[in-house]
Amino acid sequence: MHDSRRIEQTAAEWLARSDAGDWNERDAAALDQWLASAPRHRVAYLRLQAAWREAGRLRALAAGLPAGVVPPRGSWGRGWRTGLADEARAPDLQDTVFTPRARRDARARRWRHALVATVAIALAGSVGWAGWQLGGRQEAQYASGVGQLETVALIDGSTAVLSSDSRLRVRMTRGGREIALLQGEAYFDVAPDPARPFVVVAEDRRVVAVGTRFSVRRDHAELRVVVTEGKVRLDRAAGSDGRATPVSLLPAGSVATAGRDGVLVRSLTVAEAERYLEWRSGFLAFEDATLAAVASEFNRFNTRKLELADAEVAQLRVGGNFRWAQAEDFVKLLELGFPVRAERLPDRIVLHSR
Amino acid sequence: MATDLDDWFVREILAHERALVQYLQRCWPQRDEHHDLLQEVYARVHEAAGRSRPTTPKSFLFATARHLMADRARRARVVSIEPMGDFEPSNVYLIDERSPERWMGARQALKRLAESLERLPDRCREVVWLRRVEELSQKEVAQRLGISGKTVEKHLAKGMRLIADHLYGGGFAPGDEDAAEPWAEAEEDEGHARQQAD
Repeated sequence: MHDSRRIEQTAAEWLARSDAGDWNERDAAALDQWLASAPRHRVAYLRLQAAWREAGRLRALAAGLPAGVVPPRGSWGRGWRTGLADEARAPDLQDTVFTPRARRDARARRWRHALVATVAIALAGSVGWAGWQLGGRQEAQYASGVGQLETVALIDGSTAVLSSDSRLRVRMTRGGREIALLQGEAYFDVAPDPARPFVVVAEDRRVVAVGTRFSVRRDHAELRVVVTEGKVRLDRAAGSDGRATPVSLLPAGSVATAGRDGVLVRSLTVAEAERYLEWRSGFLAFEDATLAAVASEFNRFNTRKLELADAEVAQLRVGGNFRWAQAEDFVKLLELGFPVRAERLPDRIVLHSR
Repeated sequence: MATDLDDWFVREILAHERALVQYLQRCWPQRDEHHDLLQEVYARVHEAAGRSRPTTPKSFLFATARHLMADRARRARVVSIEPMGDFEPSNVYLIDERSPERWMGARQALKRLAESLERLPDRCREVVWLRRVEELSQKEVAQRLGISGKTVEKHLAKGMRLIADHLYGGGFAPGDEDAAEPWAEAEEDEGHARQQAD
């Protein structure tokens, strides 16, 4: 039994005891003490008490039945319905009521939201939209050079930001939105369209969203997905053996790394997850990272590469925010604060331990 | 001893339990921890509201749940998410502050209460009926049924928990069209497990 269950059990015992006839001041003081000793005690008690008070409405069920006899199961079911058909006896039931609204209503409401969003997008991009409807299909490729970020407005109203040295192929059809990440990293702000899932494909991995914000990045055999809003699904095309593969659902704040062996998900706060995306505003953020990892990050953004001459220098731990366009300033900082000597060559900077 | 704060909590926070349970179930794969998470979220909200009442209670409630889950996940540092079934477009959810789940009319409330009564185990149901519907005292209930006062108290305590779960948590009676929802089934399982445990 979890503690929470035990607390609820104790709260119920208190409530039942206070409902008995012999409740006195000493009992009341003991209850007060129990309630005050932990917030969990109080909320568990409040919840049961409110429901029990609400259950007072059940008195209406007794209408028209002989007193003192518990009706067999279901026998009063018809009774209370006819009883309530007479609206005149309902006034004592008019207070605020604590019973959930039917779930379907909530869903219908969400659907309306999505519809409004879709209509707005259709109007905003009406020219492109018409072209798309005629052709039924649109295809385009986008690429960014080393050290460049490209912001691309997609025809469905979504936005993609390409990081340095990245390539995308976008294919829009009536049934779906497919983006192939051919190289590098891109951040997506997806326009809601429940009818057309937004799918980012990288090799055999698929990242599926409907309306949300996230980034996808390819790095050798690894894929990294960072979700900053909404929720995305990460799955994999069925293998040649036809076996279904596990699906990961990634809520906002997730940083998922998919390798050959599976998917690791770290659940962070959205603010922490966003640190992975600071390249969009020109920064790289590190926290206790190896210099090897930091150098390879800088190298994604710069043609003049950072090289590590020895294993010792590669293992230095670095943290902070750096402008990715200013690798040379970063190297100067390293020389000031670390046992590092930089050898500056025209096409690269080699870092030695000293 | 009910305070303004307690009234506010019942009115503005407990009202969203069903949506909150659903949210926890979507985000947190360890099902046996949902009860604990729920209680902790409530405790945090009640404490925070004691200092300053949030202006948008529902958003605050869900944000508190989000932070709690993030805290726990961080403590575990690396969380591996289990396969969680298919993700349909309709599963994308919004938390809409403008339409609080302030629910249905008196008749439906009574219907739900009646359902919760109907789902109680036999003896428990008899005790709740005599105490809450006919308003006999606990002592009179004990005499009528020929059982001890302690046993009446025990049945009432159980009835109180099960009724609260049904009323707030949104368990459904068999035959209800929503009963096919996985989370509704989870609620049912829980109810059974509890009844057996007692």
